[in-house]
Amino acid sequence: MAKMKYMLLVYMDEQAMTDEERAHCYVESAQLTQTLHANGQYVAAGPLHSVSTATSVQVRDGKRLVTDGPFAETREQLGGYYVVEAKDLDEAIDIAQRVPPAKYGTIEIRPLMEIPGLPESN
Amino acid sequence: MKFMLLICHDEQSWNSQTEDERHKIYAEYRQLIDDLKADNKYLFGDQLQPAATAQSVRVRNGEQLVTDGPFAETREQVGGFFMIEADSFDEAKSIAARIPSARTGTIEVRPVVAAQ
Repeated sequence: MAKMKYMLLVYMDEQAMTDEERAHCYVESAQLTQTLHANGQYVAAGPLHSVSTATSVQVRDGKRLVTDGPFAETREQLGGYYVVEAKDLDEAIDIAQRVPPAKYGTIEIRPLMEIPGLPESN
Repeated sequence: MKFMLLICHDEQSWNSQTEDERHKIYAEYRQLIDDLKADNKYLFGDQLQPAATAQSVRVRNGEQLVTDGPFAETREQVGGFFMIEADSFDEAKSIAARIPSARTGTIEVRPVVAAQ
């Protein structure tokens, strides 16, 4: 059965969790990736360092513009990602609602495009 | 060190380009990825389908809430990403500046937390 790839973008207000809740979240997330791996659904996942470490880069008229911070000052910011394989959007939604930060933030699900000529991910 | 490069762009500008212009940009992406792979910098990456295909999922009080669309209606949306290896933040920023969409959009550079 053909499977589709989806990216799960994990958005959260960084202030929404205590350090203890965040540590607990990392442990639960690692467990989730093991379960997904066992089910053949796991492609990749990773947490990102705080948005305070973000830098944004633009090139205009051949000049490089670098600013501190994310590309948009939204209340929720990107905190991590999963790339999963699922047979359809319903299955992707089922995975997304199990991602621990879904209880604190928002998991945005985006189907991936197939582009010919891109290198294969390992 | 691993970095995620989030490729943020205005989808309307992207859609208003000609087929030829888009093909040229894809060719630039393929060349950049080949160059980065040759330097052992490229881990993986993907283009995302448009923000209109997004679904946003929240769980509150045990209830699942799913809405159509991205998590926030910003003018620029995430259109794709690269995962790269770089020796420093400066190097990651230099790689980000080579991404074709840096010329019209914004590349957000985020260090990835090392595996526990």
